[in-house]
Amino acid sequence: MTDSSETLSGSTWDVEQLLTDALRPIDPPQRLSGRVEDTLAAVTQAAAEELSDWAEELSESELRALRDPRNWVRPVVAVGAGGIATGALVVLELRRRGRGKGESGLRALGGGLRSRL
Amino acid sequence: MSATENVEPGDLGPAAKAKLDRDFEGFYRDHLRDVYSYAYYKVGNHHDAEDLTEQAFLQAYRHFDRAQRESDGRPLRPWVIRIAHNLASNYYRDRSRRPQTPLDSTEPLAARHDTVAIAEGREELRQVMANLEHLSDDRREALIMRFALGMDNREIARALGRSDGATKVLIHRAIKQLQEEMGDD
Repeated sequence: MTDSSETLSGSTWDVEQLLTDALRPIDPPQRLSGRVEDTLAAVTQAAAEELSDWAEELSESELRALRDPRNWVRPVVAVGAGGIATGALVVLELRRRGRGKGESGLRALGGGLRSRL
Repeated sequence: MSATENVEPGDLGPAAKAKLDRDFEGFYRDHLRDVYSYAYYKVGNHHDAEDLTEQAFLQAYRHFDRAQRESDGRPLRPWVIRIAHNLASNYYRDRSRRPQTPLDSTEPLAARHDTVAIAEGREELRQVMANLEHLSDDRREALIMRFALGMDNREIARALGRSDGATKVLIHRAIKQLQEEMGDD
């Protein structure tokens, strides 16, 4: 990569060498190692605790919800809505069948006329 | 499980988690100095460099399992440097949003190395660091990766998200610009 060098005041610049000297790796302070390790340990621990707390809370809240009568309204409404929807479907199906019968009657009438002609 | 699916360390079974932690410990030991050096040259002070390094490793830990699976045996150094690079960019963005914060990161690179230059009695060192300030961010970063971290072109390319060819040209032009600036001084 060293394709050229510049001359300044009689001295030759070797920029790559200067960069090697100037941009030295910086040693991290000793405390940083411990700090990162502590943070990682804390994060892992917190994640594990959060997971177990979440599992416990979930089952408790489910039980609470089952015991609370205020939450019974929703299932009742859901059952009611389901019943109405089912009723509507039954009505639609009966109408469809009714129309179907009418059509077949017209077809039968048409067939009868054709046979007579 | 697909190859790209991210499994956080907390989602793994105990044996897999223990192996992941062991691997990460080695990874962390191997790359702490690189990440810290990069962070230091980016932000210019030890305090923020420590924060940035810690954040970079925390983020790396979260995605380490996936990174290992997808690395296909390639070194993970460019990946963790890229994390530090992105965090450093956010660091600058946050600071520009909060101008009331003292901008100690505006301390020039040259000033950060006065101690080294004075100790060695080398004016050229101070000069090259001062000229490094005149380079664009991508050129300066490529040189930091090359000379402070000893990364090769391919690693730098991966860390910067560029092609190998573009990275080679980037470094070549950065050195050429520095040589010209040194000649002008």
